[in-house]
Amino acid sequence: LEAEESNSNGFQHSQAKKADSVRQTKLKAVKDEDDDVENLLREEEEYEEKTDLSADTMGALKWKEDLTQKAAEAFLRQQRSTPNLRKLVYGTAVEDEDHESDNADDELGGLFRVSRPDKESKQKANALDCSKFLIEKPQDWDLEEVMSSIRDCFVTGKWEDDK
Amino acid sequence: MAGEAQSLGYTGCNFLRQRLVLATLSGRPLKIRKIRAKEEDPGLRDFEASFIRLIDKVTNGSRIEINQTGTTLYYQPGLLYGGSLEHDCSPSRGIGYYLESLLCLAPFMKHPLKIVLRGVTNDQVDPSVDVLKATALPLLKKFGIDGESLEIKINRRGMPPKGGGEILFACPVRKVLQPIQFTDPGKIKRIRGTAYLVTRDSVNLTDSENCKIVDESKAQKCRYSVRVSPQMANRMVESARGILNKFLPDIYIYTDHMKGASSGKSPGFGMCLTAETINGTVLSAELASNPQGQGAAVLPEELGQNCAKLLLEEIYRGGCVDSTNQSLALLLMTLGQRDVSKVLLGPLSPYTIEFLRHLRSFFQIMFKIETKTPEEEHMGGEKVLMTCVGIGFSNLSKTIR
Repeated sequence: LEAEESNSNGFQHSQAKKADSVRQTKLKAVKDEDDDVENLLREEEEYEEKTDLSADTMGALKWKEDLTQKAAEAFLRQQRSTPNLRKLVYGTAVEDEDHESDNADDELGGLFRVSRPDKESKQKANALDCSKFLIEKPQDWDLEEVMSSIRDCFVTGKWEDDK
Repeated sequence: MAGEAQSLGYTGCNFLRQRLVLATLSGRPLKIRKIRAKEEDPGLRDFEASFIRLIDKVTNGSRIEINQTGTTLYYQPGLLYGGSLEHDCSPSRGIGYYLESLLCLAPFMKHPLKIVLRGVTNDQVDPSVDVLKATALPLLKKFGIDGESLEIKINRRGMPPKGGGEILFACPVRKVLQPIQFTDPGKIKRIRGTAYLVTRDSVNLTDSENCKIVDESKAQKCRYSVRVSPQMANRMVESARGILNKFLPDIYIYTDHMKGASSGKSPGFGMCLTAETINGTVLSAELASNPQGQGAAVLPEELGQNCAKLLLEEIYRGGCVDSTNQSLALLLMTLGQRDVSKVLLGPLSPYTIEFLRHLRSFFQIMFKIETKTPEEEHMGGEKVLMTCVGIGFSNLSKTIR
């Protein structure tokens, strides 16, 4: 039995490594020059180790089930995670300001300037100043499943165990 | 607030209010160029001019320079002074447009602010006075800004295009703000709301353009109900209840029919709904009818239903702060004592995202932003946890007695 277990352990590691390497290449392909890649990868490895541990301690072979799917999920989770949101908010701020392009080639005969229609960024700069957060795609609240998506936000819904 | 601080430059008229507010609080001069520079009608609009005048009123010693075409604005902030004031807001935007910024500034005045604002109380663009009263005031209380003198009172309702409404806003001053830890919105215990109706003279309304409906029978109904006004508010209430009662029994929607002296210059109707939780979070939604003579007529039933659905959307977004007040909460967290503040929000609105960027340029403060997926399944969409350390702003001009 012990031999079998060690065998399975070895197998597990090779599998995990394979999945890991696949993921790494995937990651590299997606965000090449992203400075967060290293960070992501480190977290990724930690995550992998944790699952390994739990599999060992439990003694079950559950970890082997749909490894690729787990890998895909982990990848997606990392894609959606925090650094991206922070970058979305703070990363692009510099580009918006002072994007003046008084190009010389816009001039006709050195006297007149071609006035191009406003670009999207310029329109945003002069857009309506309003704090309301409009809903772009309203959901169909007559549907039962849409309604159930907020069911537990009310006192009439299900409560957590600790309350 | 020294004048030597480096001035900040921006282009375009968007986010004018938050820029002026943050410049005033941080004491940094501000220059905005290219305000509608390439449009046929360039420069600042009347409502923006009115806003700048309002900022000038509540401060002392501000320097404001606008060039001849109105495309460039230079603003050197003075001290926030406050006191008893009144201001005529431009009817092209709601009073909410002005009130939102006053809510940001009022706690930091030298003297408590008590201001009468005249204009449009409810419109389709800006958060209405009803919504700000129901959502922003509880939020201010969380930061330790409360007391009897904190109030918003609607004396007269005014609808676009002519306005004629009047409100009173009073706010006490504080030296420092409390940090908040507001990460659990709690469950919604009740829904409240107001269905309002503004009529001037029922005889005039029968042939008003407000009832331009092709279907003659519906038109008859509409005209009839405008004449017998309270009925129309009840129709809004009934249709909204029909949707909300599937979730919660505790719903009460007041009907507010203002006529004669207490009504404004234009007729119209609308509805505001708020959902209150056991932890004191207030989420809101609102809708107003099309302004007189613009667009198709709206049936009160339709408006009530749509408003109820908007409230459900807002509940789906969730968080501890209503989506219109996200930026107010973040500002007060920034200006709090040097301590950690946390708040759970729904998805960040574009206005809030820009506000976060402005907070960084004016106060050099960045928030920690984490997405949170609700643990339970039926708890709406993804949430965002915002964390920051306050800059320890203190209101030095507050008089000590």
